Amino acid sequence: MRNKRGWFAFPYVIWMALFVVVPIVIMAVYAFTAADPITNATYPTVDNFTGMGVYLNVFLRSFWLAVVATLVCLLIGYPVSYWMAKEGPRFQRLAMALIMLPMWMNFLLRTYSWMSILENNGLLNQLFRTIGVIDLYNRVAPFFVDLRNVFVTYFGGVTTNFVPIDHFQFIGTSGAVVLGMVYNYLPFMILPIYSVIVKLDSSLIEAARDLGADSARVFRKVIFPLSLPGILSGVTMVFVPSVSTFAISSLLGGGKQTMLGDLIELQFLGGAYNPHLGAAISMVMMVIVVVCMVVMNHFGEGEEQAVML
Amino acid sequence: MKKQSRLGGRLFIGLTFLFLYLPIFLLIVFSFNAGDSSAVWKGFSLDWYKALFQNRLIMESLYTTLLVSLLATAIATVAGTFAAIGLYSLSRRKRDALLVVNDIPMMNADIVTGVSLCLFFVAFFQGWGAFAQWFNGVQSAIELPTRLTLGFGTMLLAHISFNIPYVILNVAPKLRQMDKNLVDAAQDLGCTWMQAFWKVILPEIKPGIVSGALIAFTMSIDDFVISYFTAGSSTSTLAMRIYSMTKKRITPEVNAVSTLLFLSVLLLLALNSAREARQERRAARQEIREPSFFEKLSMRLSSPAWKWIRRGGLAAMACAFVAVVALLTGAAWSQPVVNVCSWGEYIDEELITQFEAETGIRVNYQTAESNEALYSLLKSGGADYDVIVPSDYMISQLLEEGMLEELDYSRIPNFEKIDPRFRNLPYDPENKYTVPYSWGTLGLIYNASMVEEEPDSWGALYDDQYAGGVLLINNSRDALAAALLHLGYSVNTTDEGEIREAFSLVADASRRGVFQGKVMDQVFQKMEGGNAAIATYYAGDYLSMLDNQADGVDLRYVIPEEGANWFVDAMCVLKDAPHYDSAMKWINFIASTDANLANMYYIGYASPNTEALERYPDYYREREEGEELDPELYEIMAAPPEVLERCEMYTVLPPATRALYNELWIQLGT
Amino acid sequence: MSKELIRLRDCVMSYGDEVVLDHINLYINDKEFLTLLGPSGCGKTTTLRIIGGFLSPTAGDILFDGVRINDVPPHRRAVNTVFQRYALFPHLNVFENVAFGLRIPKDGPDGRKVKVPEREIHNRVMEMLETVNLKGFEKRPVSALSGGQQQRVAIARALVNRPRVLLLDEPLGALDMRLRKDMQNELKRIQQEMEITFIYVTHDQEEALAMSDTVVVMDGGRIQQIGTPEDIYNEPKNAFVADFIGESNIIDGVMRADGVVEIFNRKFQCLDKGFGRDEPVDVVIRPEDVDIVDEAAGQLRGTVTSVTFKGVHYDTIVDFYGFKWLIQTTDYCPVDSRIGIKIDPDGIHVMRKSQYSGMFGDYSSYSEEYEELDVVEDESGEGEGDDPWEGGYEE
Repeated sequence: MRNKRGWFAFPYVIWMALFVVVPIVIMAVYAFTAADPITNATYPTVDNFTGMGVYLNVFLRSFWLAVVATLVCLLIGYPVSYWMAKEGPRFQRLAMALIMLPMWMNFLLRTYSWMSILENNGLLNQLFRTIGVIDLYNRVAPFFVDLRNVFVTYFGGVTTNFVPIDHFQFIGTSGAVVLGMVYNYLPFMILPIYSVIVKLDSSLIEAARDLGADSARVFRKVIFPLSLPGILSGVTMVFVPSVSTFAISSLLGGGKQTMLGDLIELQFLGGAYNPHLGAAISMVMMVIVVVCMVVMNHFGEGEEQAVML
Repeated sequence: MKKQSRLGGRLFIGLTFLFLYLPIFLLIVFSFNAGDSSAVWKGFSLDWYKALFQNRLIMESLYTTLLVSLLATAIATVAGTFAAIGLYSLSRRKRDALLVVNDIPMMNADIVTGVSLCLFFVAFFQGWGAFAQWFNGVQSAIELPTRLTLGFGTMLLAHISFNIPYVILNVAPKLRQMDKNLVDAAQDLGCTWMQAFWKVILPEIKPGIVSGALIAFTMSIDDFVISYFTAGSSTSTLAMRIYSMTKKRITPEVNAVSTLLFLSVLLLLALNSAREARQERRAARQEIREPSFFEKLSMRLSSPAWKWIRRGGLAAMACAFVAVVALLTGAAWSQPVVNVCSWGEYIDEELITQFEAETGIRVNYQTAESNEALYSLLKSGGADYDVIVPSDYMISQLLEEGMLEELDYSRIPNFEKIDPRFRNLPYDPENKYTVPYSWGTLGLIYNASMVEEEPDSWGALYDDQYAGGVLLINNSRDALAAALLHLGYSVNTTDEGEIREAFSLVADASRRGVFQGKVMDQVFQKMEGGNAAIATYYAGDYLSMLDNQADGVDLRYVIPEEGANWFVDAMCVLKDAPHYDSAMKWINFIASTDANLANMYYIGYASPNTEALERYPDYYREREEGEELDPELYEIMAAPPEVLERCEMYTVLPPATRALYNELWIQLGT
Repeated sequence: MSKELIRLRDCVMSYGDEVVLDHINLYINDKEFLTLLGPSGCGKTTTLRIIGGFLSPTAGDILFDGVRINDVPPHRRAVNTVFQRYALFPHLNVFENVAFGLRIPKDGPDGRKVKVPEREIHNRVMEMLETVNLKGFEKRPVSALSGGQQQRVAIARALVNRPRVLLLDEPLGALDMRLRKDMQNELKRIQQEMEITFIYVTHDQEEALAMSDTVVVMDGGRIQQIGTPEDIYNEPKNAFVADFIGESNIIDGVMRADGVVEIFNRKFQCLDKGFGRDEPVDVVIRPEDVDIVDEAAGQLRGTVTSVTFKGVHYDTIVDFYGFKWLIQTTDYCPVDSRIGIKIDPDGIHVMRKSQYSGMFGDYSSYSEEYEELDVVEDESGEGEGDDPWEGGYEE
């Protein structure tokens, strides 16, 4: 009986080998080869990796922005999950539905919705103009510029003239990219944390209270450690897509905030055709992400079965 | 105190939801905007919904999205369920090893999955091409297609691949929770394994299957990155369509389609939660559950009337499925097709409809962002285009690499109407491969209300006084050409020192924050909306910007004193184009005087057709109901010979120089 | 008298190197109540699953009515099973659970599928529910039933198909003491009423002795002894059986002659014959067969080390020359008192030495042994291999 239905898994094994394992192997092959620009012949090399130092900035920026976005998601997502789990079942169901709902709109649509808000002539700048924030800035900022100029004349340096602005620069900044990531991936943080917290045995909390812990201590000593698996899985689910995103950075980053995803896309479908380099960058990113995840899961030893969705 | 903290929590949740929904709400509001801006309210209208249903490109991509998501979900759900059952029949060691592989697509970054699948498909296609050629060589009974390309099929395979793990992840726990003896019990009571599967296993793991399917569907609908890398060039999901639209002008049709999507999801969700609430109430009253869908199904299937269907049940279902898919693809196959790849906003779409009506050939019209992006697409094997419209220097490059097919000019009588000025140009000296599509100049576009003095030099692009207001053209050739011209060098220089000097001019300006961003077709939206002061772009596009500029924006075009680039875009056919005949018809149609006039009027680029150039002022008057064509604007569109004198055409650069361009260009973003 | 119905011939079951069943030979008569008894991992459930058709033996044959049925799938065997923890279908109500088997079309005599008419299904189910005292529960969801009621549904679900043999896999394991006693009687009654064969798997020796016509004691994949409950209790074949069935003191002895066995250098009269002269043997003395007498009058003398009141009797542990005996007696002897014992010849049972010699019979760790008997068998001990849905019961 034991292996009677084992063959059910057989097509799946073939499929996974073909469409998961083999592609990664091929990617590795590409990463360790290069094509001669004239003859188009490929030859093995590690130049793709050694020459990657040029893109150190891109790597650093990608990881930095992804870390910031993940932290912001955690800072928003955890309290939301925590308070949501305290509400009644009807509220919880509604809130869950509302969190899932935007995911059925494609994430590009969600990102696009921010473009029209953040443009120089966009809704946010219009709002600031209407309520006078920009005027206020133009009136207040010269004072600080003058102040700085006074210092500069004393201590040396270049004086600057105040140029009045008619908008704040949102689009094209790293802040806008982080905003886009937080907006898109926040549900991925809330869902796993919430599903862990909501399953916490209330008798544990009662027991902690019974043993004399106040609510702050209950949270610190009981609730938070027990929700760690959810946090870990949320962090992974936000960090991985953030570090590899390319559409968000090109839409909200105005093409100036090049990230790893953009770099890879550029090598495949963008202006700089070099799939070998693209494969190498993908490999490096994959390895770094895997290492990050192993390290993180190490923190939550034994609780690796974190809840997915 | 407790109450207070609860209030605080609710407030926080409320703010988060505001954050999540405000952009969507604005998106919806502006779908009803009478104007075409996503930022300025001009009154209520349903025009964009009407436009949406007439917009073939969006509707087709919507259809593609739904089809791929539904098919992938259905297949992945069935496959994943069986795989999960299979996995649970394996020994623990084997199963754990397989589950690690199962995690890869879920944990890997989308872009890595997409890239690896793309490379895999391309490698497979190459291998297949070699095999098919050999196979066709040794026998003649079966003719195998030698050229496979990325497309709907590969995208579907990719979607299935990343969906199966989610299904398994949801079904597996239900299998684990299921009493292991249930199947034995059913068999003991006389069921075969298959009967036990339908009567016992399926109802037991149904919640897992349903949630697995739901998540698979969500992932499919939400996916952009993997589709982007595996769909190739002639298939577009809605997300891909929007992505290519964000690179030029996004019209509120996108808002309309978003609104419709959002509302339909909302409706589904509301129905579902109503159903759940009903079930809960019933459970609370301890009522007897009515039979589930599967039970009803199995009851119905055991009734005599269904006996014959049930006999061949699975076979019938499989046949039906195959038939539907075959019908869908067959419908696409049976109709002659031509795959065209051009640039954004580069054709009067009426012409497509007209051509289809006249010839019965379906036009699969796609766009690329730049010559370089087009080149990447062609090289990565993702393209199965017939007709492309690259610029002069790219044509040289493609010819150098032997990627173009000679044209059959006997079937393009309209070629006769092409002005001799645009024949036998350096990129195609004998004119065997190309039919010119349009021509124009590259110059400075500026918003007169945002600059103090009118710029007449490329230097304005690097001027600190426009810090944050300059749009750098996102194309290494054009961006460096401006810098080279400013420095007094040739746009075709191969001197590394000159190129590096030009690059540092751009890079320094970038470091000082002069540029607002690197853009291609996004320039429309930015300049029209007054979001940027100066940009480098093409004359023809300047004219269409003029038609759309917002209040208070005053766009002007100038060819700087250092001179500029002039270019010709020409239609070519790719080697081994699958629809050569259709391609000839399309080229001849587009080369006609009428089509050239329509295109000139619509896209603002000058035509190479002598008759069209002559007749354009009259045509314009006709279309604008008597209004005269401004001769100054016409000169911008079709630059007179003395202006062209000052301009230089690009020639193809040697590979080493191209590599230098690429390397420098990537550095700019870092 | 009754005819043979099932025979296992040299059945071997192994997973890789792990041998679960080691050459089992067993026959089962029609209308018999046979119990497979043994500790967890002894192979009893495997044997049952082979009979049920869920496993096929690695080697050997299984015959039903003289026909080899190794390859006959479960749904074609005239056998039904009551599963451990019942395996009721959670998505069906009581009636539908019981009717499940009847609704499956069966092969008719002419080879065509035959369906039981709905009318008959209804009658048979209702009749069966009445037999198991569950009338009026037919519309309940099974999750709303108590353990005992679920048990009855499981029995009804199996019996309604009128099997020749009913297999019961630890059916009472999850019930509490009282309920278990009631159900034992109930099962016995049903078996006699229905006049079919019951094959019953349990690790509870009391249950086995109380219900069975025949008991098969198994350990380590082998049959240790087959016999009536009385035989098994009174004439255990080896130290394992002696220890597993009831309480026993198992002492090394030497057979000096027919009817004379020497323990602790003292000769005792016994009824056993046919051993070699001076053959080392295991001697079983049941705790209730020992009489406590004055120290002087005893055949053996020892010190009481602990006394536990058990209601009907006292469990008295007595130390003889460092070997601790359990004696059950109605006389109270205080701890540390010196006592003597007397054993009648029919209270002594002599067995040949076996692999189990020296492993059982000493009551030095008395309380632990007692607890061990109460440990509910867990299925993990049966070996991972035999179920494809392993890891079940995870709530």
